[in-house]
Amino acid sequence: MKWHRPNFAKGRRFNRLLIVLGLVLLFPVRSEAYAGPGAGFAFLSSFWTLFVAFLYSAYAFVTWPFRHLFRWLRHRKAYGKAQIKRAVILGFDGMDPDLAERFMQEGKLPNLAQLRDRGTFRKLRTTYPPISPVAWSTFMTGVNPGKHNIYDFLARDLNSYLPFLSSAEISAPKRSLKIGKYTIPLGKPRIKGMRHGTPFWHWLGKAGIFCSVIRVPVTFPPEKFSGVLLSGMCVPDLKGSQGTFCFCTTRSTGDKFREGGVRVPIERRGAVCLSYIPGPDDPLKPDSGSELRVKFEVRPDVAKNEAHITVDSEKFMLKVGEYSEWIPVKFKAALGISAHGICRFYLKEVSPEVEVYVTPVNIDPGRPDLPVSHPVTYSIYLAKLFGPYATLGLAEDTWALNEGVLDDQAFLAQCYSNHDDRERMLFDALEKTRQGLCACVFDTTDRVQHMFWRYLDEDHPAARDVPRNQRPQVIQDLYRRMDDLIGRVRRHIDDETLLLVVSDHGFKSFARCLNLNAWLHQNGYLALKPGKSESVDWFEDVDWARTRAYTMGLNGLYLNLAGRERQGTVQPGEEAATLKAELRGKLNGLVDPSSGKIGITGVFDSDNAYAGPYVDNAPDLIIGYGDGFRASWDSVMGKVTRRVFEDNLKAWSGDHCIDPRLVPGVLFSNRKIAEEKPAIVDVAPTILKLFGLALPAQFDGKAWAVATESPRP
Amino acid sequence: MSSSLPTYVFFAAIPSFFRDNLPLVLVVLVSAVVGLLMVIVFRYTSDQKAIRIAKDQLKAHLLAVRLFQDQIPVVLTSYGRILSGTGRYLKLAFKPLLYVILPLVLLIVQLDRYLGFVPLETGQPFLLKVRTVNSGSLGEVSLQLPPELTVTAPAVHVPSDNEVFWRVLAEKDGNYEVNIATAGQAFSKQAVVSPVVTRVSPVRRRGRFWERMLVSGEPPLPDDAPIQSIEVSYPARSIHFAWLDWNWIWLFFVLSLAAGFFFKSVLGIEI
Repeated sequence: MKWHRPNFAKGRRFNRLLIVLGLVLLFPVRSEAYAGPGAGFAFLSSFWTLFVAFLYSAYAFVTWPFRHLFRWLRHRKAYGKAQIKRAVILGFDGMDPDLAERFMQEGKLPNLAQLRDRGTFRKLRTTYPPISPVAWSTFMTGVNPGKHNIYDFLARDLNSYLPFLSSAEISAPKRSLKIGKYTIPLGKPRIKGMRHGTPFWHWLGKAGIFCSVIRVPVTFPPEKFSGVLLSGMCVPDLKGSQGTFCFCTTRSTGDKFREGGVRVPIERRGAVCLSYIPGPDDPLKPDSGSELRVKFEVRPDVAKNEAHITVDSEKFMLKVGEYSEWIPVKFKAALGISAHGICRFYLKEVSPEVEVYVTPVNIDPGRPDLPVSHPVTYSIYLAKLFGPYATLGLAEDTWALNEGVLDDQAFLAQCYSNHDDRERMLFDALEKTRQGLCACVFDTTDRVQHMFWRYLDEDHPAARDVPRNQRPQVIQDLYRRMDDLIGRVRRHIDDETLLLVVSDHGFKSFARCLNLNAWLHQNGYLALKPGKSESVDWFEDVDWARTRAYTMGLNGLYLNLAGRERQGTVQPGEEAATLKAELRGKLNGLVDPSSGKIGITGVFDSDNAYAGPYVDNAPDLIIGYGDGFRASWDSVMGKVTRRVFEDNLKAWSGDHCIDPRLVPGVLFSNRKIAEEKPAIVDVAPTILKLFGLALPAQFDGKAWAVATESPRP
Repeated sequence: MSSSLPTYVFFAAIPSFFRDNLPLVLVVLVSAVVGLLMVIVFRYTSDQKAIRIAKDQLKAHLLAVRLFQDQIPVVLTSYGRILSGTGRYLKLAFKPLLYVILPLVLLIVQLDRYLGFVPLETGQPFLLKVRTVNSGSLGEVSLQLPPELTVTAPAVHVPSDNEVFWRVLAEKDGNYEVNIATAGQAFSKQAVVSPVVTRVSPVRRRGRFWERMLVSGEPPLPDDAPIQSIEVSYPARSIHFAWLDWNWIWLFFVLSLAAGFFFKSVLGIEI
C-alpha cells in the first residue's frame, strides 16, 4: 500500500563479490568484455546518469558565480531588509479554533499549546463566504474576492444559468485536424486560470527569494514564478471533473450516484470477472459523447477472501478491504494519442458478489498530460523521489463515503495515505528551502471534519443510530496527528524561521439542510414552469421570465437581473436594491420551524463586502447560514424542492459554508504577533513585510506587527 | 516477365548478401538473441521494483540539481545522493549479471573461435611461433609440415623470449596438423586454411582449463612438455558495419545492448 524503499543490505559476501566484479569490469581487457550486455546495461545506465549528473553539476558550478553575480545585481536587496531568513506556512484547511482550544485545554495538543504559550494563537477572520477556494485565494493574493474573482467553487453562465468551475477552464486544443468523422487534436488542451490577483510568492520570487509552494488551493493552472509549486485544490482528474470515482460491481442495479461517481457493471466469465475504468472523452470523436476506457480483470479467490487484478501489464493481489498502490493506466485513443493517469483499487467484496472501488483517475504526476506543477519537472521530481501520489485537487473521495461505496475506515485510510505523501513533500521542501518561503496546505483536516463531524455532534441525524459511547474519536485523532506534525516541523526549523499555522476557516455541524430555492419559490421570488411544483437539477423546470432571484452554489444568492442574466426580470438600480433589501429582511433570522433555531444568521450585500474589478461576477447577496445549517444538497445544484428544511443524513456532516463570523480559522505562530483581530487577507502583506519588501498598492490586508525573535523557552 | 525480374533479383540478392556478409549476419543474429535472453533473465533474477525505485530516485536527484540549481548546498547534497544512488543501482543490476556471466562467457568463447579470426588463405604466408620452457632447448626445436604447407624462410630464434618463428605458406585449403618436435617428443597444432567462416584456434598451450579457455580451442600441451605454446598467426577478423571496422566482440557488445534496450521496452522490463 505504501511506496516501500527496498532493503539493499544483502550481506558482506555478496558485496565483496560485487566489488571484485566491479573492479574487473572497470579495467576490462578483451576477455572481461565477455561480460557483455549484462554489465553493459548496468554500466550504460549508471554512467549515463552520472554523466548527466556531472554535466548538470558542472553547469551549476561553472555558471554559479555568474548567476550569483547576476542575482546579486538584480536582487541585491533580497533579504537586505528581511527580518526573517525563512517563513514556513502550514495550512491546515478547516482547523477550527474552538476545537483546537478545547483539545489544547485537555492536554491533547502539546505542540500547538507550546506555540500558543510562547508565540501566538488567535482566531483568523475568514472571507465572505468562508469557502476554501475563496479564502485561500485571498490568503495568497492579499485581496478581497472582488479582486481575485473567486466567490465559490462554482460560477454561473449568464446565458444558460448553468454552473461552471470558477477557478479554471479547460478546453480543446487550439488546432485540430478533421478527417471524416474523426478530429485529431494537434496539441495539448488549453487551460485558462480564472483566479486573478498575484500570489505573494510571485513578489518574493521577483525579489530573489526562493519559494516552495505545495498544494495551496486554486493554484491550477500553475503559474510561472521563481520557485517551485505543486498545484492543489481545483486540479481536475483525467476526465476533467473534480473527481469521479468508479464503482464496479456484479450487483445489478439501475441506481445512479447522486454525486461524484459512476457505477460500472462487472461481467462474470467463468472464474474471471471483466470490467473497465471510464476515462476521458474520446478526443477523436469530441461530439459523440464516447469515452475512452481501460479494461481490467478480476480473479476472485473466495476461499482466501482476496482477488488478483490485472490492468494492462500490471498484476496485483488485494485482500478484501485493502487498497492497491497507485496503478498507472493509459487510455488509448489512437496510435500516439493517449492519456496517462494513475488510480488505486479497493477490493470491497468477492462473495457472493464482486465489488471493486476505483479512485478517480488522477493525472499522472510522473508523466503529466496537463501541468500540475511549476516547473512541470517539479511534479515529476516528487513522483520519482517518493513514488506516484494524488494530484487531484479534492483527492480524498468524500463522495464515495457519502454514497456508501467506501466505509469510514476505507475513507480514512485513503485520507491518511494522501496525508503521508504530503508530509514527505513538506519535509523535502523544508530541506530544499533553507532560505525563503515554504508553504504547504494539508486538506486532511477539512475532509475528515466534513465526513466525521456526525460523531462529534451529539444529536447529528446522520449518527443517531450510533450509540454515543461507541462513536470513534476521529476528529480528536486528526488534531493529535496535526499536532504531531507541528512538533516534527519545529524540530526542522531554527530561530530565524517564522512558523505560521493557518486555517482558512473553522467548522460547525451540518445537521439541517436549507433549500433556499424552495424558500424563494414558496415566497414568490422563483417561479416554476406551469404544472410543476418542483424542479430537477440546474433549474430545468424554472420559469426564468417570472423569476426574480435564485441560488446556486454554497452561499451565493443572485438576482435575475435584466441586462445581465439572459432572461433577467429585475431592473438594475432602485428595483434591484429594493429587492435585495427585501430579501435580506426576510431571510436574516429565518427560523427552522422544527427546532426553533435560526437557519440564517446573516445576509450580506456584496456591494459592501467586495470591491474590485470583478465584483460584477459576485453573487448579489451572501447567505450566512446559522450554526448547524447549510445550503441543502439540492439547492446547491439548482434544484427546487417542496421542503425548505430537512435533516442532513449524509456522512458529510460538518461544514463551514455558513455565516463567516461563526467559522474563523486559526493562526498559530512561533513568534508573538501583536494584532488582536488578524484576518486571512493579512497573511500576504505580513510575509512581504517580514522579507523587507514594499507592499503592493492593491493589497486589502495589512501587515501584522511580528516580534523579530522567537521567544526562548 | 517484367514483374518477375525484380523479384528474381531480390531473391538472388538475399543469399548473396548473407554469403558475403556472413560474420556480420551472425553477429547481428546472435546479438539479438542474446539481448532478448539477457533482458528475460534480468527480469526474473532481479528485484524489478527495487531497480525501478533506485532508478527513479536517481532521476529525482538529477532533477533536484536542475530545480534547485541556485542553491549550492542542495546541488552538492543531490550530487552526493546521485553517487550513492548509482552505487545502489549498480549493486542491484549486478545480481542478474552473476547468473548469466558464466554461460555467456562460454558462448562467447565459442563464438570467438569462429568470428575472432579469419582462417588462413592459400598463397598467403603466416607465422608459426613456438615458445619453449627455456632458451636452451630452442635449438632442438624442429618443424614437421604436411606436404600442402611449406616453409618460406629459415627459422628465426629469439632466445630472450624463448621463441622460435617460421614463416609458412599454404598451397591448398584444408585443416592441417603441424608438428613440433623437440627432445624426442612431438606436439601437434591445428592450422586451418579456408575461404569461409570456420572454427579456428590460434594457440595451443599448457595450463589449466580456466587459463586456456579464453584463448585456445585445442587440448592442452602436457604440463611436463618442453614447449609452452604453439601459435598460428591467424589475422584478426574485422567486420565492416556502419562505416566502421569493428572487432566482432565490440560489435556484439553494442548490438546486444541495443537489442536489450529494444526488448526491455517491448516487454516492459526494468533494467
